Amino acid sequence: MPDLTATTEKSEAQFAEFVDALAADPARHAWLPDLLREDSPFYNQRSAAAISRMRGWVLLALARTGVSNRELPFLLEEFDTGTDAYLVAAAARALRSYKKPSSEFAPFVIRALSNVRDEPLSFESYGDYATSATDTTPVRELFAVLAWLGPHACTALPSLASMRAQPGRLSKKMLGELDRTVAAIVGDTRADEVETDGCCNLRDDLGQKWRSFQGREDMDAVVSVVFEDQDGTRVRYQDFFKGNPSIVVFFYTRCDNPWKCSLTVTKLARVQRLLKERGIADQIQTAAITYDPDFDLPERLHSYGLDRGVHFDSHHRMLGATEGFAALRNHFKLGVNFIESLVNRHRIELYIVDGRGRVAASFERLHWDELQVVNRATEVLRENPRPRFAARSWFSGLGKTATAIFGPLLSIGWAFFPTCPACWAAYLSVVGMVGIRQIPYPSRMQPVFMALMLVNVVSVWFRARAIRDMGGFYFVFAGTLAIILAETVIGGGNVAALGVALMCTGSLWNAVGRRYLQSYVQRIRVLSRDVTSS
Amino acid sequence: MATKTKTVKKSKAATKLKDAPGGAIGRRVYSIVTNKQKTIQERVAALAQAPLTVSDNEDNLKAVLAVLLNVDEPIEVRMAAMQSLQAASFSVMEFESSRGEYRAALRKVAQDPNPELRQRALGLLARQKDGFAQKKLLEGLHSPEKALVPPEKALQLLSYDVHAAAYKAARTIVDNPPNPTAKSEALRLLAADATASPMFEKVLLDKNEMRENRQISASALHALDPEKMQAVARNIVLDSADYDDIKATSLTALTQFGDNSRLAVDESLRKSVDRMKTEGSEKLQQSAKLFLTKYSE
Repeated sequence: MPDLTATTEKSEAQFAEFVDALAADPARHAWLPDLLREDSPFYNQRSAAAISRMRGWVLLALARTGVSNRELPFLLEEFDTGTDAYLVAAAARALRSYKKPSSEFAPFVIRALSNVRDEPLSFESYGDYATSATDTTPVRELFAVLAWLGPHACTALPSLASMRAQPGRLSKKMLGELDRTVAAIVGDTRADEVETDGCCNLRDDLGQKWRSFQGREDMDAVVSVVFEDQDGTRVRYQDFFKGNPSIVVFFYTRCDNPWKCSLTVTKLARVQRLLKERGIADQIQTAAITYDPDFDLPERLHSYGLDRGVHFDSHHRMLGATEGFAALRNHFKLGVNFIESLVNRHRIELYIVDGRGRVAASFERLHWDELQVVNRATEVLRENPRPRFAARSWFSGLGKTATAIFGPLLSIGWAFFPTCPACWAAYLSVVGMVGIRQIPYPSRMQPVFMALMLVNVVSVWFRARAIRDMGGFYFVFAGTLAIILAETVIGGGNVAALGVALMCTGSLWNAVGRRYLQSYVQRIRVLSRDVTSS
Repeated sequence: MATKTKTVKKSKAATKLKDAPGGAIGRRVYSIVTNKQKTIQERVAALAQAPLTVSDNEDNLKAVLAVLLNVDEPIEVRMAAMQSLQAASFSVMEFESSRGEYRAALRKVAQDPNPELRQRALGLLARQKDGFAQKKLLEGLHSPEKALVPPEKALQLLSYDVHAAAYKAARTIVDNPPNPTAKSEALRLLAADATASPMFEKVLLDKNEMRENRQISASALHALDPEKMQAVARNIVLDSADYDDIKATSLTALTQFGDNSRLAVDESLRKSVDRMKTEGSEKLQQSAKLFLTKYSE
């Protein structure tokens, strides 16, 4: 689909015209499924009700053009987790345009029948709401799907019988529809076409299975992300997601669809119990990340998780991104959109992140199975056994620390390196004269120090680029320059001392990051203000 | 005297219905409900009995829906019909088959010429987060000539659903309120907007603002940014020129949700609160005592 960013400012009516135009032009049919993606720019800054109208219209267009495997996950998602009558009914109508019935659809239709509340709908024109009884209702559309499935829907018969037995569940008219649906299933002559390999295993191409990421993208983009967990503890993406593989789900506490966020977090708690039972709870982490970090403050995260049985410790957290949410959204390619800061539509999404913070596998839209998730995460764990993670993590930490210590030591070393016999005598008087013969001639040491300092500047530059914060590098560079000038051109201990101070500051900055320094500065300010006011 | 007669008639009608034999109750109720020859009071009384039987069969429901939708019926009877249907809708299983039709009827009534009926119908729909109701309410806020209810009511009904996309309209009303109540409702709605804490801080600190709005802002700021609320509350308590009720609210916020370690060593705050123990309104004195009990005594 071409870049439509310029056209996303369309009004709803214009959007509907656009969809109709795509449906009318066979060359552009392939654009339609892109309009079902939650992250489509068309849905940015729209209300949830508007998105329901817009997506519903796209589904109705698909019902006219015909549904392929590419669109199926979107339709099944509506049956699986949808509660919006209009969208469920439109998805049901669209499914009937699929090339052939399949018994894999029947469980989804049954779930939709139990999830959705029936109401009259209007598909006549865009944005219409029924104000009187109509022939279009989600239950009727779902019955029509079952009738279309015919013998492929035989597994739905017990559920239909149960519906029929419930007093008041269906109107007289709908009971007639139900009977006709049952007759269509039982009396269909296509019984010999029904698959014999069971009805509940959705094929890979229909979206139920894992999506694995072979060429995994590095996490450069997300290193800037800073989270706050359910206890208010701050942690950076690279610190939490490096070392162990993690199971990551996304949610937000204000989600009003009980089949999405609330269920997702409840299932994550079950995943945690499975990990514990297998004794790998300290090797595979879990994280529930909120889409709505501005509202989902630590206390809210904590109580939301606790209510759903989530266990918390340093490996298992609920997180809100206080910095870098855009990078996070891009890294996971999240299926979500917003109106202002509030989510207006999202899909179910679970990710397995490897020990280097990269997405190794994902499961989107449809309900996932806890056991399957744990098995997949265990596979990722086996890719890189823990000792290697631990070693890498240790070396990584060592590298960061070394950068912070090495630079200042070098600068001090060179700035105060003795350059005359008297200096040598003075220094050595401290450590004893015995070592004087082992120290090489000063002029040979200076180029070595200079080279090492340049190596330090380059390493600081690399790290500054990685954390997207060049402040520390500028300080280190200025410090290095000051020391070089002091030792070669200008001379003088003051300039050298200034250089050392700059290098120390820059290295510290580079090691801990500007945001942490700022938070400490902020705390000092608050403390001093309190002291002054009292 | 007239009122007494009405009451007598009403109770007689209700007694007749109660006394009717089991299977005949429904028939008798609906014969009264649909009979235009009966007085308004008799029909209203019959409708009060209707929830018990409205779900028994579809004909009953259709009869009550027809009364609700008929603009020629007296408004009292239509209101009673709506109330009866709404009460029946709580019996989840029995009403299920009729729920959709009832919702569609409410959408129609939401555009009725009678403002009270309209408002009630929109209220019932808005509680169900109905897209039609939200669309109409938002349209009314953007174009007052299309408004089905006053702006303050529209905001109140839209606040039932955080996803209704009403923040923009609410902000416009806060900046340029058509009346004081509308501003209060707009502030209430924005209490769920995670980005609104600077606005609430501003309103809370504005001594010229209505007290009610400052109270709403205090509560909203506490929900959206508790740390900020603590800082603002402390400033208000220390401000000798601020109103007692606002100071009392701020003090309660500090007592209930404050950072214990910080407040326990906050001498200047403690001294100010100590003075409030004997000065100011009774409410402020009570709040001061509670604070001191927790933090210093």
